[in-house]
Amino acid sequence: MSGNHLAISNVPIQQWGELYSQEEALNIGTIFHDLNMPFFATESVLGTTNPIASNVVDTNVSNEQAQREQLLTKINQVSFFLDDLTLYLDTHETDTQALKLFHEKSLECAELRKQFAEEFYPLTKLCVPMRGTGEASFCLQDGPIPWEGACV
Amino acid sequence: MWIYEKRLQYPVKINKTCPKTAKLIISQYGGPDGELSASMRYLSQRYTMPVKEVGGLLTDIGTEELAHMEIICAMVYQLTKNLTIEQAKTEGFDAYYIDHTTALWPQAAAGLPFTAIEFQSKGDAITDLTEDLAAEQKARTVYDNLLRMIPDPEVREPLKFLRAREVVHFQRFGEALEKTKDKLDSKNFYYFNPEFDKDMFHGKL
Repeated sequence: MSGNHLAISNVPIQQWGELYSQEEALNIGTIFHDLNMPFFATESVLGTTNPIASNVVDTNVSNEQAQREQLLTKINQVSFFLDDLTLYLDTHETDTQALKLFHEKSLECAELRKQFAEEFYPLTKLCVPMRGTGEASFCLQDGPIPWEGACV
Repeated sequence: MWIYEKRLQYPVKINKTCPKTAKLIISQYGGPDGELSASMRYLSQRYTMPVKEVGGLLTDIGTEELAHMEIICAMVYQLTKNLTIEQAKTEGFDAYYIDHTTALWPQAAAGLPFTAIEFQSKGDAITDLTEDLAAEQKARTVYDNLLRMIPDPEVREPLKFLRAREVVHFQRFGEALEKTKDKLDSKNFYYFNPEFDKDMFHGKL
């Protein structure tokens, strides 16, 4: 890898290191301990745990909504883990630990998406067939609209 | 080709109407260092990138920026969806309301419309990657400024997430620049343009 040279930017290549759990990572914004660099003003509201991206169950909603939200939270967490890992692998194509983890999380993510389609609604058009052939109407637009914040 | 997934990368659930906050945050939708600008920058630059993996990284980060744009839009939408005319008048949302009601339109906090003039696609790998490093820093500063000004945790949590992504993207663009430098002569990185002088880049000249 390149060393330091004059008249050009130099950024050291990240080495594989300690990772956050997928539950923690979505709240922090990265899976890597080494890249977690918060801003001091974000510390001023200490003690606030995110009510949204964590597994805290809202007791004011129906049982079905609670279950749906829990499963979608899990999908958000695994998907984000994969998002961050993808960018790492884009610049570290031969990192065996990252590759192994990517395969594991990908399989987990595919399984969760299938479960979500079967139990609730399809998240993408490729998930539509997972609903089965008994559907009377096109189900892609079933479920809450993501930006409404109704389903997390 | 892209496939839409019906969920936000980071969930947004804001209960309080606050047009004042919406007017600040909208800058990360259509402002100079916003997510739309970021996405268009990376997705434009990738075609002529001489190192294939760097083009791939630009695709992946450019795609993630689209998801960030959706997060920002969801925040602005939720902050204004139950807006009253009284709130619009007293919380500085009246001018925006006249032109767009409560619809989403890409503009900066100060009202300037989104424009491609805010970003570059220069056709030189070192120049473009250096621009990308700067772009991530500029976006981080905007998130820092927003976090200083906005106390509501429902709004702060997604902003903190988005800020953290800028730091990660900076690191990846840095690594992409190193990858590009590896393929050039370290005695003079500027002897030719790796995107235009293809034969020299591939050692055929």
